[in-house]
Amino acid sequence: MIAEVEALAEGALARIHAAVNLDEMEAVRVEVLGRKGSLAEFGKRMGKLSAEERVAAGKALNGAKTSLEAAFDLKKTAFETAALDARLAGEWLDLTIPPQGIVPGSLHPLTQIQNEIESLFFSMGFTILDGPEVETEFYNFDALNIPPDHPARDMQDTFWLEGGHLLRTHTSPVQIRGMQRLGPPLRMIAPGRVFRNEEVDPSHEHTFYQLEGMMVDRDVSIANLLYFMKTLLSGIFKRDVTVRLRPGFFPFVEPGFELDIQCMVCGGEGCPVCKHSGWVELLPCGLVHPNVLRSGGINPDEYGGFAFGLGLTRLVMMRYLIDDIRWLQSGDLRFLKQF
Amino acid sequence: MKFSYQWLSELVEDLDIDAKEVSRRITLHTAESEGVEVHGALLKGACPATVLTVEAIPNSHNVKAEVETELYGKKTLACGAPNCRAGLRTMYVPLGVKRVSGVDSDGMLASAAELGINSDHDGIIELEGELGLEADSIIEIDNKSLTHRPDLWGHYGMARELAAILDKPLVDPVSMELLPVGAPVQPVVIEEFGLCPRYSAQVFEGVTVGESPWWMQYRLGSIGLNSISNIVDVTNWVLAELPQPTHAFDADKIQGKIIVRRAKQGERLLALNGEEYELSADDLVIADEAGALAIAGVIGGKASAIGPDTKRIVFESANFNASAIRKTSSRLKLRTDASMRFEKAQDPHNTLRAIARAAELLEMVCPEIVAVGGPTDVCAELKPMPVIHLSLPWLYRKLGRELPKSQVIGILERLAFGVVDQGEALEVTVPSWRATKDVSIPDDLVEEIGRTVGYATIDPVAPAMPVVPPPVNEERRFYNQLRSVATQQGFHEVYNYSFLSEAQAAKLGVPVEAHIKVLNPIASDQSLMRTTLLHGVLKNFEDNLKNFDQFRFFEIGKEIHKQPEGLPKEVAHLAAGFYSSGGDGAEGLRELERLARAFAPTMRFQPAAEARPFEHPLRSVELYLDTMLLGRIFEFHPNWVEGRAAVLDLNLGPLACMLAGIPKKYQPIRRFPSSEFDLSVLTPARTFSSEVEKALRSSASNAVEQIQFVREFTLPDGQRSLSFRVTVANQERTLTQDEITAERDGMIAAIRHAGFELR
Ligand SMILES: [Zn+2]
Repeated sequence: MIAEVEALAEGALARIHAAVNLDEMEAVRVEVLGRKGSLAEFGKRMGKLSAEERVAAGKALNGAKTSLEAAFDLKKTAFETAALDARLAGEWLDLTIPPQGIVPGSLHPLTQIQNEIESLFFSMGFTILDGPEVETEFYNFDALNIPPDHPARDMQDTFWLEGGHLLRTHTSPVQIRGMQRLGPPLRMIAPGRVFRNEEVDPSHEHTFYQLEGMMVDRDVSIANLLYFMKTLLSGIFKRDVTVRLRPGFFPFVEPGFELDIQCMVCGGEGCPVCKHSGWVELLPCGLVHPNVLRSGGINPDEYGGFAFGLGLTRLVMMRYLIDDIRWLQSGDLRFLKQF
Repeated sequence: MKFSYQWLSELVEDLDIDAKEVSRRITLHTAESEGVEVHGALLKGACPATVLTVEAIPNSHNVKAEVETELYGKKTLACGAPNCRAGLRTMYVPLGVKRVSGVDSDGMLASAAELGINSDHDGIIELEGELGLEADSIIEIDNKSLTHRPDLWGHYGMARELAAILDKPLVDPVSMELLPVGAPVQPVVIEEFGLCPRYSAQVFEGVTVGESPWWMQYRLGSIGLNSISNIVDVTNWVLAELPQPTHAFDADKIQGKIIVRRAKQGERLLALNGEEYELSADDLVIADEAGALAIAGVIGGKASAIGPDTKRIVFESANFNASAIRKTSSRLKLRTDASMRFEKAQDPHNTLRAIARAAELLEMVCPEIVAVGGPTDVCAELKPMPVIHLSLPWLYRKLGRELPKSQVIGILERLAFGVVDQGEALEVTVPSWRATKDVSIPDDLVEEIGRTVGYATIDPVAPAMPVVPPPVNEERRFYNQLRSVATQQGFHEVYNYSFLSEAQAAKLGVPVEAHIKVLNPIASDQSLMRTTLLHGVLKNFEDNLKNFDQFRFFEIGKEIHKQPEGLPKEVAHLAAGFYSSGGDGAEGLRELERLARAFAPTMRFQPAAEARPFEHPLRSVELYLDTMLLGRIFEFHPNWVEGRAAVLDLNLGPLACMLAGIPKKYQPIRRFPSSEFDLSVLTPARTFSSEVEKALRSSASNAVEQIQFVREFTLPDGQRSLSFRVTVANQERTLTQDEITAERDGMIAAIRHAGFELR
């Protein structure tokens, strides 16, 4: 019987080696190693053997089984590897084809700059406020120390609406609303859409964006204002900027300033961008006029503050060198897709 | 406002910086300069010359002239002036050699206009004696930066600034000893001192009206004032210098008293500019006993104007109420050099100074002139000069730096403030020309001191403040989340205008009356405020479809709705558009539905009861969160937009609140397996899946975890087959087959009850 087992094993081994695919080999496995396979048949015959013979035959049987299983596993792995290799070899893919599907859209450049400045101020403890686009004369003018016959009202060509209201000409009304809402001390900014009755051309718009800023506290000085403006502008332009204050007249501040930054094109040497002055006018600011604090319900004997107005539209145009302000509200995707 | 450097240097002693530096210093310390220009540029290098010979040039209107110049020797040149004749003394300008009419013309002979003296261009200038003029630099100051400074509308005021900045002595051009003395001659009555606090007038006789001398013409011309006549030029000189506006009447054309009164309603006046104005009782006039002579503070009348035959004049120097002048001037749309100054609130103390200065100038330009008596001076009781208590420690806290007290006092005194030193504080008296409107509180003095010492001397200082996280603006944060979701889905953000036209309103069928009207629109197509973002969306489609076959965009903006009273309601909306030039349009609508779900995953779509005229009749759906209607998705009717234009319009107000109100809550992961079963429902054509789903949900017990739409197809007879997968589960145990079957049977019953069949 041992010889029979050995012969069977030898034959089976030869067939495993000869098998050209997994199926063929599987057939051999079932035939020889299966539950009803040839080796199992031998196993049944073992009972008829003597104890001695049984030990020897069992050994031969196990030996055959082990070597066949090993051969089988080895060959199976070879087949699997070959199959996987074959599959992978057929899976050449051109990964240089641009991906299909949705290309992300874009945020309007004004949104982008607003977000940047908002987070800058938020990190410095300023809260972000909104105000209505349609305002009362009180909030837009009177409360800001601009009485009805004040020449400053000439400077702002106002859109008047039926019902006695107007389209806010600046974000400054939010100063008053902010003071009334928050009370002192406070730090706030208010970005938003403002309107001026102006003919539209490449550098003038009737609809544009401003950002109002205000800080009210016990002692607020021009030196503090300078500090915030320098920090703000260095944040916006992502570099150290040189600023200067010069007198500017705005009824809601006293003293009032125009803030200039040193021209970043020429570094102050003088060039066409800065009209050869070395400086670019950037924003109006000042210490809050006591009358304005009063309008906001704050006692000017106890508190002072500074305020500023930043032209976001102008800032966007400066940053991206946009030559025509009308692009910003054109809704033209040829323009907007660039941002 | 233009300032002559020569004029300023006559008023600031020892002015040792050039015009460009003056311009820079004024910008840094006082008001914004727009730059420096040269006036009379040709005067540089020019010199007198005598014409020696003149020779006609054939076929040319020019002549060939030989001239003897005082600086450059003999020159030959071509000249086109009709008065170019031998023996004429004129001005030569070296310009280099140029071939003119066949002559090598070396330089030119100049007209008065070319030299910047006046507008006389009829011939070359005819010189008697020396010209005595030099090129000047003109510094242009932005008028807007002078609105609060009545005193800076004249050279004397600006000279005071410069003198204070540079710490140089100021020269007062006025000598009060030149003010005529004697009894007043011209009677004056002021009816309302509120409108005219002061009216001074001086009569002169022996007047000869003629041209003013070149130096006066040149100086006035350099700052943009045309020379009219010797007398009028004097009024302009005083205006540009002091800056008191004055007016000269022909005294023989005044009947009796001068009366300063309100105009009669409808009273008419033919003004000096040739226009006739109809006045109202809000306007102030200078009248005599016969009628109006002039519109006070704005313009003189033609009838009383001085002319070539004028022998006697009444020289008016008055002060008027700033707002009254401003109102009249803007109502008549007539802004004059006088009205511009009066509306800034001029100093009532300045009227007699102007007469003293005028008396001096009139004698220069009209030597035979004689003052008759002294000035009439009718004057309200003038307010005392305000006194401001200025605490020095407070001043330093405002500035953010300290200063020696002597420097503070020096600055104030150079700016003509009166100062009494009280130790820690100063009592500061405001000069009359700064007291009309400009300076009244200590904060105003912070500016005077800060700007004069220079803001550049203040170093930035971080404020001492508590570190507190500021409150978050949740609304803005929410909008930014939406923006970020939309851009991730391929939408580009647009900003549209808040205005629209009546035609645009009509196009979307919104009645004009529903909009807030702009009373003074720039153009008629911007006369209404938007009550929906859709007008902008429509325009975005129309504009962009010319350039793209497919595009996506969105806007977050405010609708503005009329309210019965108070401010209008501003409602934030998000509008998104998807455009495709071809296709069946489903893609865009589905994408917008996906976008809406990305904003709010529980958003429900419900067929709109009725399509609006501009919508595809079968493609509009309403968006709900719970039971709240929040928006709409629709396709534009092809008559409105060619191609496939899908729109999402979402009301953000309630959405923000509702999403904030839905707290996220953890559900424990189920430990027992769920089961699923599919239901395919047969419905009549055009049945919405939401109706079927509604039926399914109506019978669902709380074991139903999910009802999910799987697929649809349409049968040949038009019926729809809609398949749903239902997931059922229990937290505590595995559901039994009976329970699952019961759930399924319940749903089938509900489907049948709703009038559908199981396929
Ligand atoms: Zn530059």
